[in-house]
Amino acid sequence: MAATELLTTKVRSEGLGLRRLLRSPGLLDRFALFVLVALILVAIFAPLIAPHDPLIPAGPPLTPPGRAFWFGTDQIGYDIFSRVVFGLRASLVGAFVVILSGIVIGGLIGLTAGAVGGWVDSALMRTTDVFLALPAPLLAIAVVAAIGPGFTHTLLAVAIVWWPWYARIVRGEITALRHRPQTEAAKLSGISRRRIWFRHLLPGSLPAVLVLATLDVGGLILILAGLSFLGLGAPAPAPELGAMSAQGLRFLLSSWWIPIVPAAFVAILAFVANLVGDGIRDLMGSME
Amino acid sequence: MLRLVVRRLGEMLVVLLVLTAVVFVLRQLQPADPARVALGGRASTGAVEEYRRELGFDKPLLVQYVTYLGNVVQGDFQASVRTRRPVSEDLAVAIPATLELAAVALLAAVIGGVALGVVGAAKWRGSAVVRGVMIFGASIPVFLLAYGGILIFSRRLGWLPGTGRTSYREFHGPTGLLLVDSLIEGRFDVFLDALRHLILPALTIALLSAVSIGRVLRSSLFTTLHAPYARTARAKGLPERVVIARHGLRNASGPAISMAGLQLGLMFAGIVIVETIFAWPGIGWYMAQSIPTNDFAAIGAVTLILGALYVVINALVDVLQMVADPRIRH
Repeated sequence: MAATELLTTKVRSEGLGLRRLLRSPGLLDRFALFVLVALILVAIFAPLIAPHDPLIPAGPPLTPPGRAFWFGTDQIGYDIFSRVVFGLRASLVGAFVVILSGIVIGGLIGLTAGAVGGWVDSALMRTTDVFLALPAPLLAIAVVAAIGPGFTHTLLAVAIVWWPWYARIVRGEITALRHRPQTEAAKLSGISRRRIWFRHLLPGSLPAVLVLATLDVGGLILILAGLSFLGLGAPAPAPELGAMSAQGLRFLLSSWWIPIVPAAFVAILAFVANLVGDGIRDLMGSME
Repeated sequence: MLRLVVRRLGEMLVVLLVLTAVVFVLRQLQPADPARVALGGRASTGAVEEYRRELGFDKPLLVQYVTYLGNVVQGDFQASVRTRRPVSEDLAVAIPATLELAAVALLAAVIGGVALGVVGAAKWRGSAVVRGVMIFGASIPVFLLAYGGILIFSRRLGWLPGTGRTSYREFHGPTGLLLVDSLIEGRFDVFLDALRHLILPALTIALLSAVSIGRVLRSSLFTTLHAPYARTARAKGLPERVVIARHGLRNASGPAISMAGLQLGLMFAGIVIVETIFAWPGIGWYMAQSIPTNDFAAIGAVTLILGALYVVINALVDVLQMVADPRIRH
C-alpha cells in the first residue's frame, strides 16, 4: 500500500506549492512529531517511567482509572499504565526491526537486480512480484501459526512478507542511477565494481527507501498489534498492546478501560507515525 | 490484447502454485508430528510409524507436495484436530457467512473511498481537514473500531446488535447467504435482522480500506482535475460537478480500483479479528479459534482459500483494467 502512495508522490508534489499556501504550515505535523518523539522516549525509559512492575499485580483487580492507577487495573490487578508503557516499547521495537530487515533483505535483492541487470534482474524481480501478489498480512498469520507464537516469530513472519516492497523501490532507483552520466564516469575511471555499487548506486536509493520506511511505521504497528491480538505474539502475561486488548475483550461491557486503553495507544502511536511519515513524504516530494 | 490477458492469467496460476507451495512448506515446519497428534500421546511408536506411512509422510517431499496439491484442488484439506471433522465440512458452513460479510464490507469500502476521494480532492476550505481525518482513519486498529461500534451503537444507543449473525437460528436456506435466502423465501423479518447484524462488522472492516482507496483516489483525482482536458471542460462552462464526475473520476479510477483489489489482503486479515470480536461464524473466526489449538490443517486451509480469492480477484481487476483502459495495454 505504501508503495502505491510513493508512486504518486511525483504527481502530488506538482500541486504542492498551492496546497502549502492553503494549509497552515504543518502545525499538525509538528505536533505529531513532538508526540512521536515523546512516545519513543517513554518507550526507551519505560522502566523509569512505569510506576509498577508490568508482571506483578499492583492492586485490586478491575479498579477503574483514577489517581492511584491512571489507566485502572485489569482483571488480574496489573497496573494498565505500566503495561502500556512497556507495550509501546514492544510495538516500536517490532516496527523498527521489521523495517530494518526489510531494508537489508530488500535492499540487497534490489541492488543486485538493478546493478547486474539482464537475466539476474528479471529472475529476482519475477520472484519479488510473485511475493508481492500474495496477501502479506494473511500470510504473516499463517507463518506465525506454523512456527509457533512468540514475539521474535511474529517479527520474523512479518519481515518475510515485507521485504518485496523495498526490493522493488531500490531496484527502480538503482536502474535509473545506473544509466546516469556520473555512474558511467565512475566506471570509465576504473573504480572497482564493489565501490560503484556501495558508494555510487546504493546511497542514491536512500531517499526513496527512507520515505517508504517512514510511511511503513504506522501500518506495521497496526499489523503487529493485530497479530498480537490474535494470540500470536509473546505468551500471556507479556505486556503487548494487542494481546492486552484481546484479553480484556470479555470486560468490554463491564470494565471498558481494560480493552480500550491499550487499543487507544496503538491508535495514537500509529496516527502520529502516519502523520510524520506523510509529512516527510511531502517534504521529500517538494525537494525534487 | 488477448496475449496480455492470457499472460496475466498465466502469472495468476504461477502465484497460486507458489501460494500452495508456501502453505505446504509451512505445514512441514509444524513442530508437532501430525500422525502423533491424530493418534494421541498414548499410541505406540510403531502405530505412529504405520500411520505416517499411511499418510504418505515417508515419501520424498516433492511427491508429498504433488499429493497435497491434488487434495487441495479437490477441496480436501484433511481433518481438523480441534473439531475432529474434515476441514472442508467446517468451511462449507463458514464460507457463506464470510462471503456475505466481505461483500458488504467491500461495497461499503468502495462507496466510502469514492466519497472521501472526491471530498478530499475538490477545492474547498476543509480539504486540509480531510487529510488529517483520513490519516487518523488509517491509524485506528480494527479492534478499537469494533469496540467503539459495540459500545456506542449497541450498548449505549441500542440501535444495532453487537454480536452474532442472526436472531433466527432455525432459519436455513439453500445458499447459506442470509440476505439471499431470506429474500428467496420471502422472510423480510429475517432479511432485516441479518442486515442489522451485518452493519457494524462490515463497516468496521470497511473503514480502513475506504480510507486507503480514498487517499489514492484523491491524489489521482488531483492530477486529472488539473489536466488540460479538465480545464477545457471547465472553459466550456460545465459545472464542477460534471467535470469531477465525467472527466475527473473516470480517468482517475484506475489506481483506485487497483488499490481496492490490493486492500482485500488487509481486509481479509481484518476479517479474522472482526469475526472474532463480533462472534461472526465465518472462516476468519474459524481460523482464530484454530490458533490456540495449533490446528494447522484449518489455518492452512483458510490461508489458501482467502489467499486464492485475493490472487484471483486481483488478476481479474488487472484484466478488466486492460479491457477498459487502452493506456495500460501499451
